[in-house]
Amino acid sequence: MDKTSNFETYGEIVIKVDMGGPGSSPCASCKLLRRRCAKECIFAPYFPPDDPHKFAIVHKVFGASNVSKMLQELPVHQRADAVNSLVFEANARVRDPVYGCVGAISYLQNQVTQLQMQLAVAQTEILCIQMQHEPTLQSHHEVFELDQDDKAHLLHSNNNSINNCNNNYNLAYAMSSGQLNSNFASPSSIIQMQMQDPLKQESLWT
Amino acid sequence: MSSSYSNYTNSPCAACKFLRRKCTSDCVFAPYFPPEEPLKFANVHRIFGASNVSKILHEVAPHQREDAVNSLAYEAEARLKDPVYGCVGAISVLQREVLRLQRELEETNVDLMRYASCLGGETSAYGGRRG
Repeated sequence: MDKTSNFETYGEIVIKVDMGGPGSSPCASCKLLRRRCAKECIFAPYFPPDDPHKFAIVHKVFGASNVSKMLQELPVHQRADAVNSLVFEANARVRDPVYGCVGAISYLQNQVTQLQMQLAVAQTEILCIQMQHEPTLQSHHEVFELDQDDKAHLLHSNNNSINNCNNNYNLAYAMSSGQLNSNFASPSSIIQMQMQDPLKQESLWT
Repeated sequence: MSSSYSNYTNSPCAACKFLRRKCTSDCVFAPYFPPEEPLKFANVHRIFGASNVSKILHEVAPHQREDAVNSLAYEAEARLKDPVYGCVGAISVLQREVLRLQRELEETNVDLMRYASCLGGETSAYGGRRG
């Protein structure tokens, strides 16, 4: 996390952090809840009055009392990050009431899978080129000194190894172009997978 | 779709058990929070609250409610395991992985072009010798 600027990042997600404390104006949460903004208001540092939408959306999805409890359970230096992640989740849930953040996880996991397959295809191509290149130079040297039967045998075995390489290439290409659809995860399948094996985060991208 | 219909038996659903109330025949939670999974509702209630979950369920179409509940349960569990970042932590990790793979794919494609052009150069030189 980059703490030297007003922007903190979750990877490419950029969320502005407002660290304004309680001033003469009640914070956004106390304004919305129509209550007096006390000096020790737990929301005030993270929900400034000039950004009412931020608290409104968190309150809509999580509820003020739940957010308050969550913040109270955290050390002070982690509360800003917690608020920002709650805001992110709340926004995701309002945009997509069915899947919320899980939709984004599903999308990213599919991207990872696709990129891994494309990488496999490219690496297989390099291997094929290497295999075609080295045996070709050697076998052509030997061809000039062998009789017809030996030439035919060598060319046949050379073609077999190239064909095997091409078969692997075709399989990898088919997977990357989505022809083998079973490799792509939907949000539902991600939820089912994770419900069976709760929150092994590494399984999301292996 | 897992529909326990526990409200039709004597057993209240996990939500009504937790909230200590009568589980009626039109209980919105009953199809999605069976009594044998008490932790699922307890987690969701702790993070989102029963009334917020009820509102979300009423907002989505009936055929999407199971997925909505399961995604809420997933997020709630993630938040309980990681109170600071919840499932946003997983998103961050995945985004970094995507960037890493994109860079690696770019480098591999550059290598591939280099190999292909080297092979093209050697073949034509060899062809010249044979000719």
